[in-house]
Amino acid sequence: MQKKALLLVGSARRPRSTSESLGSHVLERLKTQGFDTEVILIHRAHRSEEQHAAMLDAANHADVVVLAFPLYVDCLPALVTKTLEQLATSRRAGTPKAGQRLLAIVNCGFPETSQNETALAICHQFAREARFEWAGGLAMGAGAAIDGLPLEERGGMVRHVIAALDAAAAALAAGTPVPQETVALMGRPLMPSWTYSLFGGIGWRMQARRHGTQKRLYDRPFAE
Amino acid sequence: MKITILDGAGSDGGTLAALHASLVAELDARGWEHRSFILREMDVKPCRGCFGCWVQTPGMCIVDDASREVSRAIVQSDLLIYLTPVTFGGYSYELKKVLDRSICNILPFFKMVKGEIHHVPRYERYPRLLGVGTLPQPDAESERIFTTLIERNAINMHCPAHAAGVVFDGEGPEQVERKLHTLLTAVEVT
Ligand SMILES: Cc1cc2nc3c(=O)[nH]c(=O)nc-3n(C[C@H](O)[C@H](O)[C@H](O)COP(=O)(O)O)c2cc1C
Repeated sequence: MQKKALLLVGSARRPRSTSESLGSHVLERLKTQGFDTEVILIHRAHRSEEQHAAMLDAANHADVVVLAFPLYVDCLPALVTKTLEQLATSRRAGTPKAGQRLLAIVNCGFPETSQNETALAICHQFAREARFEWAGGLAMGAGAAIDGLPLEERGGMVRHVIAALDAAAAALAAGTPVPQETVALMGRPLMPSWTYSLFGGIGWRMQARRHGTQKRLYDRPFAE
Repeated sequence: MKITILDGAGSDGGTLAALHASLVAELDARGWEHRSFILREMDVKPCRGCFGCWVQTPGMCIVDDASREVSRAIVQSDLLIYLTPVTFGGYSYELKKVLDRSICNILPFFKMVKGEIHHVPRYERYPRLLGVGTLPQPDAESERIFTTLIERNAINMHCPAHAAGVVFDGEGPEQVERKLHTLLTAVEVT
């Protein structure tokens, strides 16, 4: 029977998110390896009971689940947490399908990959408690440099990211854990931290100008 | 001492409900002013990740719901206390839904903090942070993750001091009181 791979996207950013760029790259690779693939946006699945039930069902039946999400306040976004809570509850109630594997992919806004460590530890702990096999966790900093675009459009800067995601997909297809070298490759900086911070600062000011708020950026509405 | 308690219990309060009651008793005994938000009773939508709170309505989420009141209370406290079932080592959904919505309290710009990039503070002062989690039984990895997460949040949110602890199902009131006493003393403003 054809193996199934499910991508759960944990970012609510529209029309595009870096989580989706990274996760769909892995999913595309799995498709070429013969997997039947499906993408579910977590925030959308929470809009109706039907879609929500379908999401949990898909996660409980896929051979491979790829969970791609942004780092929010040093850990998982609220709705991703809620989904994992519900998934764990549904799996405790019965006997989960054997051999289901979980790969977590997290990206964050700060340049350092290491800031994602706690989030990956939470995903690993989830895998233990909900009885998924832990295939591994990939993390990267400076997610805004990808800004939800397809990786192929981001040039040489993301060459190592593509190589790491390709290697992770190969490991998933082969049923082996994601190698440590792949984790390290994924986490390599996209650019020097100071360049990223400089462009980040300019970017925020440009967005503020668009909203006419450049003089109010430092407001303290809750000081009193 | 002004204290904000964020109660992240789900519907089956159990150990966390008892913990909340013990905490309130301990704070009253110290004469500290406190206000609790029972988050599961509050209609707070999850963050959309739009960053409007930084560039559109600076300092405030663009969505006008109860999260604004929570973000205001956080900034105006001397001590912020998270109560949560330890969920895979992290926070519950109920707690996380308001934490994600509170990034309005910092600025979008970057600066170095302890050798890493973090955000520039928006306000002159921020509360100390105490995280108290509940677990059915001891679990070294969950406890390690939880303690690390509180420490990471304290750096990210510019908290001048922090402490974290876990209470287990079946622990008696005296044991819980002793733990709370130690944790509160660790973050006491002198
Ligand atoms: C509510 C919120 C909290 C965030 N917290 C962090 C954080 O703690 N550390 C960090 O490096 N980035 C943080 N970020 C930035 C996102 O992780 C970053 O913008 C990421 O690239 C978004 O990915 P996406 O396009 O997949 O949503 C936060 C963003 C939001 C909206």
